Amino acid sequence: MRHISRIIIPISIALALVLLSGMVGFITTHAGAFSSLDQADPNAKQTEFDQMRILLSAAGSNTKDATASVNLPPPEKDPCLHCHIAGEDKNLWTPFIRWSIFSGVGLVFAYGFYRSASTWRTRLPWKPIPKRAAEWVDERYQVSEPLSKVLNKPVPKFALRWWYCLGGITAFLFLVQGVTGIMLSFYYKPTPEAAYASIQFIETQVRFGSAIRMIHHWGSNSMIVMCIAHMLRVFIMGAYKSPRELNWVSGVLLLGLTLAFGFTGYLLPWDQRAYWATTVGTEIAGSIPGIGNLALVFLRVGWDVGALTLSRFYSLHVLVIPLATVIFMFAHFMMVRRQGVARPV
Amino acid sequence: MAEISHSTEEDAIPFYPDHVRTEFRVTVGITIVIILLGVIGLFSPVGLGQPADPLDTPAHIKPEWYFLALYQLLKYIDKTVGATLPVIAIVLLALWPFLDRRPDAGRKAKQIRFIAVSIAVVVLIAMTIWGEIS
Repeated sequence: MRHISRIIIPISIALALVLLSGMVGFITTHAGAFSSLDQADPNAKQTEFDQMRILLSAAGSNTKDATASVNLPPPEKDPCLHCHIAGEDKNLWTPFIRWSIFSGVGLVFAYGFYRSASTWRTRLPWKPIPKRAAEWVDERYQVSEPLSKVLNKPVPKFALRWWYCLGGITAFLFLVQGVTGIMLSFYYKPTPEAAYASIQFIETQVRFGSAIRMIHHWGSNSMIVMCIAHMLRVFIMGAYKSPRELNWVSGVLLLGLTLAFGFTGYLLPWDQRAYWATTVGTEIAGSIPGIGNLALVFLRVGWDVGALTLSRFYSLHVLVIPLATVIFMFAHFMMVRRQGVARPV
Repeated sequence: MAEISHSTEEDAIPFYPDHVRTEFRVTVGITIVIILLGVIGLFSPVGLGQPADPLDTPAHIKPEWYFLALYQLLKYIDKTVGATLPVIAIVLLALWPFLDRRPDAGRKAKQIRFIAVSIAVVVLIAMTIWGEIS
């Protein structure tokens, strides 16, 4: 199986690069981020530099009224400050070639530093830096023993069928949702006035914004599907039976939290579908006998779905439910590790 | 009581690196699917409906698909019952291991559970589709 890792490693490195560059693009800029620099804003506040320029030009032309603002052409501003040397011919290839050369030379230097730093001072035979770093940490904190205990736990052969990975896929999708959700929250504004427009902004202006929203959208749906599939698998195989009752209980709670994620997240775009789905959903919660009205008021913060409902749902969606999910997931995993995978009958 | 099985060397593989490698491949596969989804999203975004308007109730209100079956049920039964039923069902589901305490004797119990789950899933999917088209 060695030959497969020769394919997998380059693939995963390429994937990591694609993901990283996409994320950096998403976080840093959006289309038109520099558009204010392209045309001069006549109402822009004058800087000291501008005033000095005006004074100098006024002095040069021998005008008496030096303080009067003179209409000068706006100073040329480079939209991409780190890409070009001022005044040079600007095209795509100039910064590309420059940064390729820089990074190539940088890589050579980095490799030289890496090789020399591995033998420096100790004069011992060459050893890779990661290994040295691991030894350095282990010397101080003795992590290798408990870590090897965790890593050497054997996995039974019956647990190598595909239906045993449904829970793991759910956990991975939770991570994906966390990352894309954090990225969306950079641009999202949880108020009725701005929510809709901010999502339009994400979809049309932000780099890869629509891709990130697509992933978050379908990730949430597939997380629910995977969660239910994992639950059905456990149920059919009878893996919930003693001594794994609490594992099942925590799993049901996690399913409830996943559904709560979906329910609260659905309101956030603040379009008609979201608004009325939430109205209906909270109405159903409101018709539970006994605690109905309490549940309704807790969810809507009042009798109607409004600005406070939106900020409450946002807070639940990005703070409360993720925290609870992480806690229960940790408990879920610890219990699985402690008891091992249930042996099917 | 089902024993907690601590696997021995012969019927198990090491967690690291063998199992971790398998899991890593699964992760890479899912990541490829996710990137494909993102690429599709670049060309046809999820999109938005009309902006929310509390004064204008649309003709066909529908919740998310995972609440559609319940929503469809609520059209035909009393609202109080319909709202209480899922709560009871979830509590029952969470406490199921404490109700079903007998350890499995053979494959029979597993088959019965499989049939029960299949029926429940088919009913739920049918209700969801019904809710979607109605």
